[in-house]
Amino acid sequence: MTLDVAFLFLQQGIASGLIVGSVYALLALAIVVIFKTSEVPNFSQGEMVMAAGYIALYLLVFQSLPLWIVMPATILAAFAGAALFRRLILNQVARANGSPVNLVIATLGLSYVLRGFVRQTGFGDTPRSFPPVVEPESILIGQASVTTLDLVILATAIVVMAAFFWMFKYTKTGRAMRAVGMNPKAARLVGVDLTRIHMIVWGLSGGISAVAALLISPKVLMTADMGSIVTLGFAAAIVGGFTSLPGAVVGGFLIGIIENLVGLFITSRAIVLAPFLAIMLVLVIRPQGLFGGRVEIKKV
Amino acid sequence: MPDLLELTGVSASYGRIQALSEVSLRVPEGRVVALLGSNGAGKTTTLNTISRLVPVTSGSIRFDGKPIESWASHQVVEGGVVQVPEGREVFQDMSVCENLEMGAYRRKDAAAIRADFERVLNYFPKLRERLQQRAGTLSGGEQQMLLLGRALMARPRLLLLDEPSLGLSPVLVQQIFGIIDRLNKDGLTILLVEQNAAVALTCSSYAYILENGEMALQGASDQLRRDDSVRRTYLGH
Repeated sequence: MTLDVAFLFLQQGIASGLIVGSVYALLALAIVVIFKTSEVPNFSQGEMVMAAGYIALYLLVFQSLPLWIVMPATILAAFAGAALFRRLILNQVARANGSPVNLVIATLGLSYVLRGFVRQTGFGDTPRSFPPVVEPESILIGQASVTTLDLVILATAIVVMAAFFWMFKYTKTGRAMRAVGMNPKAARLVGVDLTRIHMIVWGLSGGISAVAALLISPKVLMTADMGSIVTLGFAAAIVGGFTSLPGAVVGGFLIGIIENLVGLFITSRAIVLAPFLAIMLVLVIRPQGLFGGRVEIKKV
Repeated sequence: MPDLLELTGVSASYGRIQALSEVSLRVPEGRVVALLGSNGAGKTTTLNTISRLVPVTSGSIRFDGKPIESWASHQVVEGGVVQVPEGREVFQDMSVCENLEMGAYRRKDAAAIRADFERVLNYFPKLRERLQQRAGTLSGGEQQMLLLGRALMARPRLLLLDEPSLGLSPVLVQQIFGIIDRLNKDGLTILLVEQNAAVALTCSSYAYILENGEMALQGASDQLRRDDSVRRTYLGH
């Protein structure tokens, strides 16, 4: 490989990595925001993405609704569905037996329900593809080739992340979410309604999952198993420290770039391994993740 | 004086372990009432049943005449019953300023909140110097003051204080109790949980003593201070 080609690959890898990484970053945010406020890793996150994708597909292709209705409707449906799951199912599970393990199992249950439901409807029988939001046209940035669709994906993801961070930092509800994440007991003692905050957190996580679904669906084949893409969101979250929202974003971009560089410089067959190698590397060198802060020792 | 808070036959349990059985107590408006007892006697559990963090299995809790035993924790705070928890229950990664603002979470009267913010900083001038500092980096005494300040930001009618002297130096204990005295003189009703019986019996007008989740003894604080069995068990002389 000559230096010229290497430089070209580097540019292409970073450009493609940033684009797909922005979707991983959204997925990681959706995972981390739930984990931070309830210490529950949501194993149905992937199926929430998948279900949102199929809702959009149904509205767009089978109901022939225009895109400007389909997008907000999908996001709203995912927000409401996730918030209701938290309120109706998880609250009940928590009340019956407070152990967090049961909550995790309930999220696994939801993932099976959603996958089963999509299979039942028949939409998931054949791989389908979602029509792109904009007609993909090729553009050169430096020597890297990307499409207009790619740029729309990246821009949307960045806007959503910025809005999310703004909400977390500057709104009363956002601050209450941080408070619940830091100290749920103290949050209750200042009058935070935990049920409401948990519902909003799940709703936001569902909404972000829906955005990710809308962005990624035109680029992948949709099946009932497409939720496995969230594995990369989990990888991004772990690399970022699992409790850090900025860490989740950086982790997402890193995983995207690493995948693409591995594909270009080594072999495309190694792409699936790349995220796991990244996790292992981070866990060995910096077990708390890149943004995980101090390692806390808890009394058991 | 009418009773601001009245517990009648309150029982509570953690799983199968009975933590409180048939606890009754009254806090008249404008007074400081102390709740004493050794470790594990159920003092904190009593406060947590009032704050609605621990469910009540039987009995009734009335605040200002209204039954509150079926309320949610945030409704109790909105009603004016605010707890200052034991230990370092601040929001570690928020600034001192954000912690105080969180105290007013359920309030919407922006102008009055600003006025109370100033009032709290006048009570605790140390906090004013540290407004932008991360709360987790404060010393133990400063965190205790922040907890008190955060509770005051909710504009309580009844303050539930859990072991405010725990782990503080004698000078700081004196300072904290000076402030508690001042708050009470300004009209705040206080239910004070303490292990340091000597201090608690000095600043309260009435006291209850819990043993193994049951009310063992009660009486006017100055009488209890002279009671022989109380002196032996709780005052150490």
